[in-house]
Amino acid sequence: MAVETNAAPAPAGHSPAVTWRDRWQTFRLSAWLGWQVESNWADPLLFAVYSMAKPIASALILVIMYRIIANETAEALFPGMYVGNALFMYVGALMFGVSWVIMEEREYFQILKYIYLSTASMYWYLAGRAVAKFLITTLAVVILLAFGAAFLDLPLRLSQVDWGLFATVFPLGILTMIGLGYLLAGVLLISARHGSGYVESVAGALYLLCGVVFPLDVLPGWLAAAGKVIPVTYWLEGLRRALLGQSFAQALAGYSDGQIVLWLAISTVVTLGVSVWFFGRMDHVARSRGLIDQVTEH
Amino acid sequence: MATASPTTAPDALDSAPEPAASLPDLTLIQRLVLNLRAARARAYVRVVATGRELSWLAFEVALPILSAAAYVYIYEALGAPPRYTGFVLLGSAMTAYWMNVLWSMASQFYWEKQSGLLETYFLAPASRVALLLGMAGGGIFMSTSRAASTLIAGSFLFGVQYEVVSWPLAILAFVLTLAALYCLGMLFSSVFLMYGREAWHMANALQEPVYLLSGFYFPVRALGFWTAMGASLIPLTLGLDAMRQLMFGAPDAALLPVGWELLGLALLTVVYFLLALRSLAAMEHLAKREGRLTLKWQ
Amino acid sequence: MSAPLSVDVQNVSRQFVTKKGQTFWALRDASLQVQEGELFGLLGPNGAGKTTLIKILSTLLLPTSGQARVAGFDVVREADKVRRVINMVSGGEHSGYGILTVRESLWLFSQFHGLPSKAALARIDELLEVVGLAQHAHTRINKLSTGMRQKMNFVRGFLNDPRVLFLDEPTLGLDVETSRILRSYVKRWVKEKPGRTILLTTHYMAEADELCDRLAIIEGGRILACDTPANLKRTMQDEVVLRMEVYPSLAEPQRLAQLPGVLRLVPDRGQNGHQVLTWGLADDGVIGTVIQALQQDGVRILRLEKADPTLEDVFMRMVGRRLTDGNGQSNHSA
Repeated sequence: MAVETNAAPAPAGHSPAVTWRDRWQTFRLSAWLGWQVESNWADPLLFAVYSMAKPIASALILVIMYRIIANETAEALFPGMYVGNALFMYVGALMFGVSWVIMEEREYFQILKYIYLSTASMYWYLAGRAVAKFLITTLAVVILLAFGAAFLDLPLRLSQVDWGLFATVFPLGILTMIGLGYLLAGVLLISARHGSGYVESVAGALYLLCGVVFPLDVLPGWLAAAGKVIPVTYWLEGLRRALLGQSFAQALAGYSDGQIVLWLAISTVVTLGVSVWFFGRMDHVARSRGLIDQVTEH
Repeated sequence: MATASPTTAPDALDSAPEPAASLPDLTLIQRLVLNLRAARARAYVRVVATGRELSWLAFEVALPILSAAAYVYIYEALGAPPRYTGFVLLGSAMTAYWMNVLWSMASQFYWEKQSGLLETYFLAPASRVALLLGMAGGGIFMSTSRAASTLIAGSFLFGVQYEVVSWPLAILAFVLTLAALYCLGMLFSSVFLMYGREAWHMANALQEPVYLLSGFYFPVRALGFWTAMGASLIPLTLGLDAMRQLMFGAPDAALLPVGWELLGLALLTVVYFLLALRSLAAMEHLAKREGRLTLKWQ
Repeated sequence: MSAPLSVDVQNVSRQFVTKKGQTFWALRDASLQVQEGELFGLLGPNGAGKTTLIKILSTLLLPTSGQARVAGFDVVREADKVRRVINMVSGGEHSGYGILTVRESLWLFSQFHGLPSKAALARIDELLEVVGLAQHAHTRINKLSTGMRQKMNFVRGFLNDPRVLFLDEPTLGLDVETSRILRSYVKRWVKEKPGRTILLTTHYMAEADELCDRLAIIEGGRILACDTPANLKRTMQDEVVLRMEVYPSLAEPQRLAQLPGVLRLVPDRGQNGHQVLTWGLADDGVIGTVIQALQQDGVRILRLEKADPTLEDVFMRMVGRRLTDGNGQSNHSA
């Protein structure tokens, strides 16, 4: 809400409506704050090493696993695995970026209660806080893909990328991850400090179920079925098609690009709707149990 | 002063203290008793935490199983020999100890500084090494529950076949790995004592690269002989290689013969322990000189 | 013959360097001696250097220069021995593992001091009873209120029955009743236990006045005065302290502070919102001048009293401002 210091206050029982400008301001402020927290480094070199060491090491583990086996299957699957693994970084970073704010601001900085009693929209605030993580992850993903193309024979050529498909699929997936972040933020609202385990577990489950580093076809039937209802699966499939021009799993090969986009759009809307509702419910539970300003200190 | 109580004998609690500057030096036994008590008490916190927060245990088991499953399915997708499933599972189980050393040893002093506990430790007469040994003992208890459950559940889920060459040698390799690893953890904790938020980031940045260098998900020889030898400075490299040889009978993929690897681990234990002792004393002095031991300095 | 020294500080200074490379002195040439059996206070505003001195004495921080001894041991060279005879309680502390109960947590700390478990637990139960926390002995720390937590920290400080106990703002943020319980235990402990010494830092005047045998006033890292509360107040006898409540507020107090015979004028806000003026006057004869000047400014005097000097007045006279008027000007606050 815009602050009008000299204006007369609204009469009791009336509250000025929250405008889109207010929401944007919350988002912008929160993004700035997120960047301050993320880049709070004494040593920029260490920051750069930290930002890249993790993703490159994870990618190299997979590269070596594929190289050890060194057969035709490994060769055929390698590009899809490499791109899937690089893009999956967004999933972890955004889910963590959105949801961990709850824990960090409640337990460490102890300011969650002040955010709550301000007029800022919690949804926009949480999403804003993930912007810094999004930017750092984008840098890491670009470097990883460039590294793959330059040194690992990854068949990724910018001139051959389907940019239209990429531009449609990519933002939908980002919305999904923000939604999943809200879902986890709701869980963290009612959890103790060690709640990071929930975020890591969900990220681990998605890594397993969404055909990130191996085709969905390898999973037992019921696990593959579970993977096919998660939007991240379609997001990765859509992006692989856009970037590499090829499908990764037989299970999804029969879907047209349009069907992939449609499934992704529908599942994204459902995820966002459910997560916003769930966060609202958990917010109510947390307030009724007096958990908004708890410090669990385990 | 009673030998049972090196600092203040219980029967002396209510009597007049000895005159100033007339405190007798502690005998070796008194020093030992003091430090053993401190180590036991510090370990107790971790042991108790394992039992009181059962949700922790659920994550401790669920997370490594999820990541192990992903890596198992990669090898399955590539048509790798069955023993690779065992390799992955053993590596996943051992991640528990590496995570424990990073998060609950190396950066623990940083957390304790943040919460104000560190100064209480440092003004007590117990040695820092005793506190760290207590942390290590408790940490090994916690991590073993996680590692064992990963191994048991994973063996059951993926039907791992063991070809044990020698149980006593496998156990010796495991014990030596932990000894060297936790001595390295003590060395880290002395270094991290000096750093603030960077300690957290450093621990985070070290996690995946060590998975890569120590061959958590593939035989380390795949990195090339000399790279793997360099990586052997991390005790898990030699430990995992020795245990894989001893539990899955796979000498063809090994880095060194088991005997050499055990000798290497014993050497690393001694070297890291001595370095940790020196480094702890030096870092404590430096931290006190620069006023970094506590948050509040006025 | 005087009692042996429990704390002996000789010209201790401590310099800090900020991340931007700026240096500043948290403590400058501080010297003080505390005798065995004394309850000694360090009185000063936030950032005065009180905690820095306590950290140095409790072996957590090295001095930049100077020497300090606790119970006869050098805090730099004989830190191990110092640690065997001291303990410390800081106010506003949240230390402890939330997952442990009060009793377990205290036992944990007792082990770091090497106490046998049985004796330690008996002592813990006894002390919990004293501070009124016995019924919460088996409550997890993360369920405790601020006051209960501070009571627990307080008990921790007495577990090893230290020769020298450092109490750093021990009643910070506590309610009146809890503060009273803790203060009364402190007084009793130091009186009943021969040879024990307490060094207390506080910025609560009443607490310092009530508890301390002697106290030092510290500001900007320097020790400005050191004596018994009574003697410190006696230094004010050469001036008249006048307190008055006025309406409307005096717009330019500095101008009236220039009146002949006015040594000090400190304006403040009273509990009912009216301005309270505290005057330090050379003698009774100046009272008339002051009243006249106020009348000329159209300021009405609602209440007037000739007050006995307090430690606050002593502090104001030495430092030129009230104790609660923010941080020391030459220091940075943590």
